[in-house]
Amino acid sequence: MKRWLLGLTALTLVALVAPTGAGAQGKDTLTVALPSHAPTLDPHMHFERVGILVNINMFDSLLHRSAKLEFEPSLALSWKALNDTTWEFKLRKGVKFHDGSTMTVEDVKYSFDRVLEPGKEKKKSPQYGNVRAIKEAKVVDADTIQLVTDKPFPLLLERLVFFPIVPKKHIEKVGEEAFGSTAAVGTGPWKLVEWKRDQHIRLEAFDQHWRGKPSFKYLVFRAIPEVATSVAELKTGGVDIIRNVNADLLSDLKNHPQTRISTTPILRVHYISLDMRSAPFDKKAARQAANYAIDKQAVIEKMMAGLGRQVATVVQPPAFGFDSSVQPYPYDVKKAKQLLASAGYPNGVDITLHSSAVDWRPHFEALGQMLTEAGLRTTTKMWDPGPAWNKFFQAEGKATHGQYGSWGNYSVFDADAVLHPLYHTEPGGWIGKHYARVEGLDKLIDEARSSVDQPKRKRIYAEIQRMIREEAPSVFLFTQNDTLGISKKVAYEARPDEWLWLFAAKPVN
Amino acid sequence: MSAFLIRRLLRFVVVCIGVSVVTFSILHASGDPVSLIMPEAPEADRANLRLALGLSDPLPVQFVRFVSNAARGDFGNSFFHREPAFRLVVERMPTTLGLTCLAVALALAVALPVGIYSAVRRNSLGDHAATVVVFLGQSMPVFWIGIMLMLLFSVQWRLLPVSGWGTWSSMVLPAVTLGAFTTPLFMRIIRSSMLEVINLDYVRTARAKGVSEWLVICRHALRNAALPIVTVIGLQFGLLLGGAVLTETVFAVPGVGRLIVGAIRQLDFPIVQAGVFLLAIIIVSVNFLVDVLYVYLNPTVRLR
Repeated sequence: MKRWLLGLTALTLVALVAPTGAGAQGKDTLTVALPSHAPTLDPHMHFERVGILVNINMFDSLLHRSAKLEFEPSLALSWKALNDTTWEFKLRKGVKFHDGSTMTVEDVKYSFDRVLEPGKEKKKSPQYGNVRAIKEAKVVDADTIQLVTDKPFPLLLERLVFFPIVPKKHIEKVGEEAFGSTAAVGTGPWKLVEWKRDQHIRLEAFDQHWRGKPSFKYLVFRAIPEVATSVAELKTGGVDIIRNVNADLLSDLKNHPQTRISTTPILRVHYISLDMRSAPFDKKAARQAANYAIDKQAVIEKMMAGLGRQVATVVQPPAFGFDSSVQPYPYDVKKAKQLLASAGYPNGVDITLHSSAVDWRPHFEALGQMLTEAGLRTTTKMWDPGPAWNKFFQAEGKATHGQYGSWGNYSVFDADAVLHPLYHTEPGGWIGKHYARVEGLDKLIDEARSSVDQPKRKRIYAEIQRMIREEAPSVFLFTQNDTLGISKKVAYEARPDEWLWLFAAKPVN
Repeated sequence: MSAFLIRRLLRFVVVCIGVSVVTFSILHASGDPVSLIMPEAPEADRANLRLALGLSDPLPVQFVRFVSNAARGDFGNSFFHREPAFRLVVERMPTTLGLTCLAVALALAVALPVGIYSAVRRNSLGDHAATVVVFLGQSMPVFWIGIMLMLLFSVQWRLLPVSGWGTWSSMVLPAVTLGAFTTPLFMRIIRSSMLEVINLDYVRTARAKGVSEWLVICRHALRNAALPIVTVIGLQFGLLLGGAVLTETVFAVPGVGRLIVGAIRQLDFPIVQAGVFLLAIIIVSVNFLVDVLYVYLNPTVRLR
């Protein structure tokens, strides 16, 4: 018995004496919690949000996007389209890489060739698809490079906002593997100090950065998979910024003396894709009925703390091509029942909807309940977002009634980035391939994506939005916000593109 | 003894083969990693990647290749990390093993004295209190205990770091959490196996000889009660490695468990195979150790 007491006392003593890591970080350090780390620091060899957020603070691209979503010069000082398929970029002079060398036009060309791998059958970079339209990166002179596309490519500038320029000589010297793990070198505001996989990525301010020095000397990205843990870290000062704060945590973080929240609308749009191959959604009236049945505003207010916006289609308000004159379906159960009756279901019909959006399960169930009240008696089925889901829905596209999910455009502010992957019948998008059958939609999407005439594209997208609202291949729902939890010691605001551009972060005294 | 070793070795090989066959088939039945790696890519790009990863060959061919490589300790490159899977797993192993051993040590440090006390003072107030604690302890899931301890010790009292790994202070909460998961079972086993021997004749004889109570319990009773205890520790070790997955997630500990769970999500076959294989080896080795300990504890057990 005494031994036991002794043990406990010893343990308590150890706990008391041991230096607490909590809140021990200095004022010159900014710490961000991410759920995980990307597999590599090499900005071209992954396509993960958690990796991009780290990369943008270490590397620069030709263009930058301001918090107001305008293109700004970065490594390119200016750019212009010479014709429909050729763009010319003037490079900034005297930009230094972290290893002290000066960036040249050869590094820019090398960066594109590295992803495009011209002439090679197999492409290594998972980002190849983003820039596949680029046929060639042509060096004109020491400060000028041209990008030639195979056809008009209106998304080129969007894609160049995250297309980091990497040092040719350095990579050739240290090798690809070291570049991705221990020897990542860019031109960005912070340089790599240490990466401990699944623990932290530690960066230090680069004193020769062309923008000047960032406010925080050290930038640390910790990998914390559990939400409750990252919230606890934020409250105790172990981290300064956490991402994706859910509605149920908002008041907690708002009222805590050391934390606040920052929220902004983002591109992520929610929808229920209806399977138009089979009954009842092979009938337009039934699909429209489902759209009338949903009280979108109630979901936004009651379940999302008001942080969302109703949409008429899947095209998000901040995206290029959005047409505000196309109005969301109003909530009208009577009308829904009428339409359902006219589709041949006066007594309602049983349907099953599927989803793998585990974080949105309560919303999914609420949507099912609303549909049920309008006569579309819904069973909701939740799936693990893993292998089975992939196989049955995405790969084989089994006939179902529909699927609830969301799309985030990979932060590309253009209608094409949601319409093409979702509704085009080309193999890329599984909904378009299996679920949606809208006559003439493919042609319009193709037409809009192969023109650089923005007014013309806008007209086409307006037509598409009117068309899909009427045809209702999906139940159109809402866009959501991104919400950051931020320490009161740090001045920083959430961005609509979900970037963590931490050069803008400042300490608060 | 040598016959015993040979039999053990054979069993070990059988376990290894079994483990690799099972993990291989479950993984390959579960889906297509390529569609997870490039969800948006056209089929042609996916086919390219499948070819590069060796996933386009027929399953038997893949299996033979897998086995012959695995026999040489080569589990292939992780699809996700693009580094040798075996190295990635081995790198994390000390963390997970350390956490597990710490948890076992902590659990024993608590369970031994309390279990013995409960047995010696059977039906006393202390015994009943211990039983209640056992029930409570067994009913609480690891992740819940972890988060509660974190809220109390780190957020409320600011005594320990919330999460992380590396300093001694950061190891306390994960080890206590994982230890708390197994302490109740240890306590129960210690109590019941002590009860079995404590009233036997030889114990009474020892007492009659005038041996001090302390010696009676430690040398006479405990030593004979130790067999089931050691067995349970051996069995628990496997469970604890499983519990380490949750603990590692809650406390952001960079261990094997977190690596494997992440790999399962991403269908990163090489990591899962290397990880499960290594864990199986560890569990088999621990059980082997337990068998050897039997002989030491009870000379009437023969290794055959």
